[in-house]
Amino acid sequence: MAYKLLEGIRVLDLTMVYAGPMGARMFADLGAEVIKIESPTRPDMFTRANVYPDNQPTETAWNCGGYFHTINAGKRGISLDLGTDKGKEIFKKLVKISDIVMENFSPRVMDKLGLGYDVLKEINPKIIMASMSGLGHYGPLRDFYMYMTGMEGMSGMTAISGHPDQPPLLSNFAYGDWMLGVTGTMAVMTALYNRNKTGKGQYIDISGREAISTHIGDVIMDSTLNGREQERCGNDDPYMAPHQCYQCKDEDTWVTVAVENDEQFTALCDVMGQQNLKDDSRFADKTSRLQNKSELDQIIEDWTKTKNNHEVMELLQKAGVPAGAVLSMKELHLDSHLAERGFFDIIDHGPEGGKRPIVKQMPAKLSGVDSFVPKRAPRFAEDNEYVFCELLGMSKDELNALEEEKVAGTTPRFPPGRPARLDLIEKQVGKGAGHIDPNYLDELRKIYGEDIGKK
Amino acid sequence: MSEQALSGIKVIDLAEGISGSYCAKLMADFGADVIKVEAPNNNDGLRKVGPFKDDDPSAEKSGTFFYLNTNKKSVTIDLTSNKGQDIFKKLVKDTDVVIESFEPGKMADMGLSYNTLQEINPNLVMTSITWFGQNGPYRDFKATNFTAFGLAGAMYMMRQTRWPDTRPTILGGKQAEYTAGLIGYIVTMAAVISPVKGTWIDLSVMEALASTLTGVSADYSYIGLSRRTLPWAIHGFPTQENYPCKDGFVNLTPGLGGTKVIADLIEKPEERENPLLVKAGARVKAPEKFEELVLPWLKEHKKWEITEKAQKLKLAFAPILSPKELLDDPQLKAREFFVKTEHPEMGEVTYPGAPAKLSETPWKAGRAPLMGEHTEEILTDIGYTKSDLTALADEGII
Repeated sequence: MAYKLLEGIRVLDLTMVYAGPMGARMFADLGAEVIKIESPTRPDMFTRANVYPDNQPTETAWNCGGYFHTINAGKRGISLDLGTDKGKEIFKKLVKISDIVMENFSPRVMDKLGLGYDVLKEINPKIIMASMSGLGHYGPLRDFYMYMTGMEGMSGMTAISGHPDQPPLLSNFAYGDWMLGVTGTMAVMTALYNRNKTGKGQYIDISGREAISTHIGDVIMDSTLNGREQERCGNDDPYMAPHQCYQCKDEDTWVTVAVENDEQFTALCDVMGQQNLKDDSRFADKTSRLQNKSELDQIIEDWTKTKNNHEVMELLQKAGVPAGAVLSMKELHLDSHLAERGFFDIIDHGPEGGKRPIVKQMPAKLSGVDSFVPKRAPRFAEDNEYVFCELLGMSKDELNALEEEKVAGTTPRFPPGRPARLDLIEKQVGKGAGHIDPNYLDELRKIYGEDIGKK
Repeated sequence: MSEQALSGIKVIDLAEGISGSYCAKLMADFGADVIKVEAPNNNDGLRKVGPFKDDDPSAEKSGTFFYLNTNKKSVTIDLTSNKGQDIFKKLVKDTDVVIESFEPGKMADMGLSYNTLQEINPNLVMTSITWFGQNGPYRDFKATNFTAFGLAGAMYMMRQTRWPDTRPTILGGKQAEYTAGLIGYIVTMAAVISPVKGTWIDLSVMEALASTLTGVSADYSYIGLSRRTLPWAIHGFPTQENYPCKDGFVNLTPGLGGTKVIADLIEKPEERENPLLVKAGARVKAPEKFEELVLPWLKEHKKWEITEKAQKLKLAFAPILSPKELLDDPQLKAREFFVKTEHPEMGEVTYPGAPAKLSETPWKAGRAPLMGEHTEEILTDIGYTKSDLTALADEGII
């Protein structure tokens, strides 16, 4: 049996790209009805236009984007041009029958459209509205142009990320965007509980940069308590040595080891077959190991280089030492632990991608029930009829008129789909920005079934 | 005290690590009554983790413990003893949520499995946050934030675009653990809100961090790519580049202004039609030439100066700020991001405040409890007498 924790809750999702859409998708994963609203003239371009299935966009490229499929799974999708009077009027009708509005336009856009919280709360006093932006909706810098890069950079996290001999390092996986969107989800969930209790909605202002800063709170405390500056220190830990990411046998494969105490260090020496290290004065206790960590790292890496990453992890885990293979995106998809726990849902995108493993946005498992598999991401304007006719009571003729007037057009303004330039990715700075596995479908089929990727 | 969003929700926090403590902290800061249960005579948890006020490693001076336990009450109970378990069961009778982060199976070993607790309280929501979850081949593996970061698939791509074959690293701080705490809060609240009652939630730190990779995960299942850094052919160049300037680093991500106006920024209007500024493809093919053009000017200017000038040109450039620099940030000041509270041992403590601004039911500042500060108050409430408490303390149970 599967149940949906938030069944009956309706979310209007005006968000685009990564941050807001991930936050709104979490509601879909929890069983709420999330309606993604896109303008036909300004669709969710970046995620729709990137990573086409098997690098082959179809005629309707806008429905093929892998990023879009992933970040918008489980949602319904409609088109609506909020720049038109009719579009605004319809949006207001939707607000009346909804619980939550999530938006991540630049500050001022919603007010300019005449759809600010002051207007929406008159229509529905119970509505919860969340505005997600880079630096927040008030303050002297609120109108800064911000992407995830600026949010991370100004949060304090980037300055303490990366190797000391290289520039500060941003997340290469849009972590800051996730933080903004999911902090939005957190705040809305808080407001939702309050609304159920009091019948009152409210407005929420989320700054992505502040959201990220709250996740380095313990680090910031050294500055507030002791006035100390923090610097990036790569893989070093102030309390642990050895504590490093070590190279393994196969090309570009790695394993982490983090030794927390003497007992684990002894176990590590035994596993490596180097009992002599236990009596080596350079590594006698935590303090000396921290002092001589470079020498120790060299000894350990000489050993890890003879093994593969999973082998090192298994050997050390058996001896009670924290160690982990550093999984590439390929290895993550093929990981036996995640497969057994059902971390990836198999979602069928029909002719626009076939079945693909899609990451859960809400990875928690609930006791006694199966979590449900979200519906695939909506095709552009796919749910216009459901939303306009079924929910708002319009006739088919009225719906057709909306389409003709381009208030709710069914074809977005979209350039022809272009495959990703795999050649450039493989040649980036001469070394390659990543590894391309031509047999990825076969690999995925071994774990997730023969029909993966078949349309 | 004014009514907050979660006023009336009762939570017991058994977590010793960051993820569960952070999850329960968010609940406390939004108004829930949170009781932190700590082991008596054993401050193995976050109380031993720095930074410490004045570098004094006392159990009451840990900044990490303070930040992750604001607005909670502390009760000391030895859960490994039968009497301690009885006290805990009495507390569970009248609570809504239990948050725990023991290794899988430990709650059951102590006779406190979810099934046992649900018999006492049928509506109980229990959230178990562990490194790898309650089942699966890695269930009993040991981990730290660092090793979990690697297993979640995030570390592999933590490499500079310029040096994609260098040693992978992590994001600063304890992102895997905080991430699990944040997700834990959301799913716990969803279970509290839901009409379906009595839920045991199994959340894994590895999966929590892996779920932040949502979009990027399609790289592999759609085109077979495992990125080890940011592919410019997908995201453009520059997008993630942090370049040195006179007093630190700035991030260069062109915004609505496009790249043409970079010529105005660097005071070389004659370069406005340079293909390196006008054509995205030209930059991807020769990033070093773009850098030769731009970097000399950056090195002569300060990060805020560059940012302010760039922003006027609609370029989304931003300064890279250290944690300490946040304290002087004009935007954070205007938004009162940092808050202050008094702590009996630490004095006045300044720390990062609300993760989001709620108009009607704001987040609230507060301090962390002293160890066992509320033991007497809480246990008296559930019917223990003064002499009971003295006897329990003598036995080392509380």
